[in-house]
Amino acid sequence: MENVKLKIIKKKDVLNFLDSLKKEYNILVPMEKNGDIRFSKFNSGQDIPWDYRNTKISPKEIFFPQAETLFYFEAGASAPSNRSRVSIPINESKDSTSETNNEQRTTNYLIFGIRPCDAQAFSLLDKLFGGDDFQEPYYLKKRKQATIVSLACNKPQITCFCTSLKGKPDNEEGSDVILFDLEENILVKPITKRGEEFIENLNIWFKEAKKSDVEKKNKLMDLSLKKIRSGVNLKNIKEKLDEAFDISFWNEIHQKCLGCGICTYLCPTCHCFDITDEIDSGAGASPTPEGKRVRCWDSCMFPLFTLHASGHNPRPTYKERMRQRIMHKFNYCPENFKEIFCVGCGRCIRNCPVNIDLREMLISIDLS
Amino acid sequence: MNNPYLPMSVTIKKIIIENEARDIKTFDLGFNDKKDANKFKYTCGQFAEISILGVGEAPIGIASSPMDEDLVQFTVKKYPTGVVTSVLHNLCPGDIIGIRGPYGNGFPMKDFEGNNLLIIGGGFALTTLRSLTKYILHKKNRARFKDITVLYGARGPGELIYKSDLKQWDQREDINIHLTVDKGDENWKDLVGLVPNVLKELAPSSKDCISLVCGPFIMVKYTIPPLLDIGFSPERIFTSLEMRMKCGIGKCGRCNIGSKYVCKDGPVFTYKELQGLPNEY
Amino acid sequence: MEEIEEKIKDTVKKLFKENKIDIFIGYSEGTLPLRATPCFITKPDNIEKLVWNSYCFNNLAVYLPRFFLTQHQKKDARLPKIGILAKGCDGRSIVGLIKEHQIPRENLYIMGIPCEGMIDIKKIQDAGCKMQEVEIVGAKEKDNKIVIIDEDKKEIELKKEELLADVCMRCQYTAPVIYDVLIGEEKRKTKEEERAAIIEEFEKKPLEERWKYFQEQVSKCIRCYACRQACPNCYCKECFAEQTKPRWIGATNDISDVMFYQIGRIFHQAGRCVDCGACVRACPMGVDLRVFTYKLVKDVKEFFEYEAGVSLKEDPPLATFKSDDQQEFITEP
Repeated sequence: MENVKLKIIKKKDVLNFLDSLKKEYNILVPMEKNGDIRFSKFNSGQDIPWDYRNTKISPKEIFFPQAETLFYFEAGASAPSNRSRVSIPINESKDSTSETNNEQRTTNYLIFGIRPCDAQAFSLLDKLFGGDDFQEPYYLKKRKQATIVSLACNKPQITCFCTSLKGKPDNEEGSDVILFDLEENILVKPITKRGEEFIENLNIWFKEAKKSDVEKKNKLMDLSLKKIRSGVNLKNIKEKLDEAFDISFWNEIHQKCLGCGICTYLCPTCHCFDITDEIDSGAGASPTPEGKRVRCWDSCMFPLFTLHASGHNPRPTYKERMRQRIMHKFNYCPENFKEIFCVGCGRCIRNCPVNIDLREMLISIDLS
Repeated sequence: MNNPYLPMSVTIKKIIIENEARDIKTFDLGFNDKKDANKFKYTCGQFAEISILGVGEAPIGIASSPMDEDLVQFTVKKYPTGVVTSVLHNLCPGDIIGIRGPYGNGFPMKDFEGNNLLIIGGGFALTTLRSLTKYILHKKNRARFKDITVLYGARGPGELIYKSDLKQWDQREDINIHLTVDKGDENWKDLVGLVPNVLKELAPSSKDCISLVCGPFIMVKYTIPPLLDIGFSPERIFTSLEMRMKCGIGKCGRCNIGSKYVCKDGPVFTYKELQGLPNEY
Repeated sequence: MEEIEEKIKDTVKKLFKENKIDIFIGYSEGTLPLRATPCFITKPDNIEKLVWNSYCFNNLAVYLPRFFLTQHQKKDARLPKIGILAKGCDGRSIVGLIKEHQIPRENLYIMGIPCEGMIDIKKIQDAGCKMQEVEIVGAKEKDNKIVIIDEDKKEIELKKEELLADVCMRCQYTAPVIYDVLIGEEKRKTKEEERAAIIEEFEKKPLEERWKYFQEQVSKCIRCYACRQACPNCYCKECFAEQTKPRWIGATNDISDVMFYQIGRIFHQAGRCVDCGACVRACPMGVDLRVFTYKLVKDVKEFFEYEAGVSLKEDPPLATFKSDDQQEFITEP
C-alpha cells in the first residue's frame, strides 16, 4: 500500500518486544487499574488489554499531568508577612519531567496502544502549547521526545463520534506508528519519520506483511467505521456559533449541569490550568521547609474560575460557563488554531453524572 | 527552551503610599541580575506578573515609563481577598520578590504619533496611562505627538494617585490636565463630578485625536458613549482590560474572552475590538 | 412503572394548567442506555418527555438552591414556584435544605414518589458486562428484570434486585417525608439491622486495614469536585477546598491534600448527610467512601438520636445549641 512497508508481529511476541525496550524508553501502556484502564508504566508481567475500548482519563495526563511542579524554592522559616527578608532563591534542581522523584529520569516516552482519537488530541495540544509567541516547556519537552504508537479501533463505542471531527478508527494524525489488531498478529504501519526509524531500528522483531494481512485489516476497518453510528454535522459549526452568542438555546442547556469538572478533566483536548504555590512546612518527610510552584488542572466549568478579587465574576452562572465551553471548543479555538478542539472520544458523554450529551447540544445548535 | 514560568529576581527599592486610604502603593523594583534588566524591555500598557514565592502571582500594569532606565515601577491596590496584594503591601524596601514579563500587547505608540491624545483615567487605573504620559512627555518623544489632554478623576482628593506627577504636569505648557473628584473637600480647587459628566462638559475635540480610557469597569462603560457622541470612532477609543490571569502567556485559559486572551492579545483593546468580542465582560 | 409515569405526567399537566408552578424538575430519557437525565419543564408541551424508571438516580434537590440565590434575582422579582419529583432520598435532601434556609417551603410543590430502588451501573459491569469488554447498546426494563443488549445484539438478562445500588438497599425512607402529593404507595422497606450490618463488618477490621482501604479509595481522586457538586448539601459559595485566604489545602491530587479534602467534605456533612449516594454515583474514578458517609449517619443517630432529612421540626444537633448544653469540654479539657 503506497510506499509504506507494512510489518507484522505476532501478538504473543509484543510483550517481549516491549521488554527489550525498557532500558531505552519510559514505556506507557494501557493497564487495568482500579477496575478501569489507565496508562501506566509497562510491567513485564502484565499483558496488553488489546480489546480495551478506551481509558477513563485521557492520556493527556502523560504530558500534562493533573499536578506538575514548575519549580522548587527554599521556603525558609519565616512567613512572607514577617518583616525579615522574603528572599527565596529559586532552586530548580529537580527534573520536573520525571513521574516520581524515584523514577529513572529518562524522558524518552514510548506511548504504546493509545487510541487514534487521543493521538489526534496531542497534535491539537501541540498547537496550543507550542505556537510562535510563548512555548510551554513542560508539556513540549516530554512530547517532543515521545514516540506515539497508536492502536486502531476494531470496536468503537456508542459514544464515539470521531468521524464527525476529521477522525476515524485508523486515523493517523498525531501518531508515529499505528497498529492494527488482526487477532493473532499485529499489523504495523509506520507513519512519521520518527515512526519509520523506530521500526527500522527494531527490524528483527518484524516480518513483512502479507497481502492477506492487509486485506484482513481493510475488512476490519470497514466494519469498524460502520459501527460509528452517532454523528453530528459539524460543517460550518464555527460560522454558526459566530452568530450564536445570544441565542435562547443557552438558557436551557445549562440547567442540568452540576458544575463539576468531569467533562474537562477527562477530555483529551481540555487544557485550562491553575498555578499555585505550596509550602511543605518541614514537619513531614523532608527535613527542611520546601516550597514549590505547582500547575494543576482547572476547569472553566468551576464557578470560581473567573472570579476577580474585586468580587466581579464575568461568568456568574452555569449558562455563561456552559456557553464558554462550547464556544471555546467549537468557535474560539477554530478561530485561533484553525482546529476544533474536540476529537469525538465521547468521554464527556459517558461520564457526565447528569447525562449531558455534547452531541445533542451540537445538533440543537445546528438546528437553532 | 526558555521557561516562561521562572520569575526574575527583583529587590524592592522604594515604596510610596499613594492614597489617603493607604491601600494603593507604588513599588520601585530593581533587577538583581543585569541580564534580566536587559531582557526586560517593555512598552507602555504592558504588564508583568508580580511573583511572590510561596504566595502566588498577580498581573499588574507597569507604571514606569520605558524611558526610565534601571527602574520598573508598579502601583498595586490591596484587595482584602487578594492573597498576593495583601502580602505585597506588608513588604519593605530590601525585600526580594520576582517578576515575569513583560506581557501583553501594550499601547500602539507608533500609531499614536502625529495625533492629539485624550487620556482619561479613573481611580488607580491611571497606572499604565501614567507610563504612557511620561513616555510622551519625555524630551526625546514629545515632538512626535500633538496636543495632550489628561482627564483624571477619583472618588476624593485623597484618592488621587501620582500626586507629584500630576503637580509637575500641571506646571508644564505642553499638556492640559483636568482633575476631578466625585466629592471634594474644603481645599479642593479643581472640578467636581463623575468623569463621564466632566467629559461631556469639557467636550474636547475629536479631530485628529485618539482617546484612551482606563478605569473601573463601570466608569469605562459610561465614558464611552460620550466619547462616541463627541465624534471618536470606535477604532480610536483605546482601553485596557482587567481580567483574572494566571500564566500571562495565553495558555491557561483563564483570561479568555471570545477568541482572545487578555494577557496575549490585550490588555489593550480598541472599542471596536471590544464590540467584536462576546458580551461577557 | 408506566402507570406511575402516566400519573406523573397527568399531575404535572394539572399543575401547569392551574398555574401552581413555573417549572417542574423531573427526569427524561437519557441518551445512553441505563440512564435517565434530569429534565426541566417550563412548557406544558414538553411534559411528554417525563419518564420514571429504575435509572432515575440523580438527586434532583441539588438544583433547588440555584433558583433562590438572591444575587441573581432582579430586585423585587417574584421567587419562582418549583415543582419537583422527589424520591425518598431527594425528599430527605429537600428537608435539609429547607431547615438550612436555602429554599422556602412555600415555593415548592413536592411530588413525592415511593421509590423501589435505582440500579447501580457499576453492579451491571460486575455482573458480566465489563465496560471495556461489553458495549451496552440498549437496555430494557421488564418487570423485575433488566435486559441488556450488547453490540452483537446479544441479550443478557439480569435480576433487578441484584443490581440495586447499595444506598438503595439500605434506604429507610423510600418516599419523601414531606410532600404535596404522593404518586403511588410506599412498598419497599428495608430493615435497620441490614443497614447497620454493612458498617459493623468494616468496623471490625483492624486499624491498619481500615486506613489502607481509606488510602486506596482516596488515592483515586482527581479533584474534579463532582462529589461536592452533586451533593445537595454542598451549596457553599466558596468551598473550604478552594479558599485562598486562608489556604487550607493545595489544589493538586497530592494524597495528603486529597485526604484533607475528602475527610473535610464528609465531616461537613455530619448531622446533615442523608445517605443519598449522589457523591459516589457522580465520581468518575470510583472513589467509594459510602462506608464513611454511612458511619457518620449512624454515629449521629447514636449520639444525638437524630437522623437528617426525616423531620422538618427537629433541630439539627450540630447546628444548634441550647443554653444548658454541657460545656465541660471547653472548661475542663
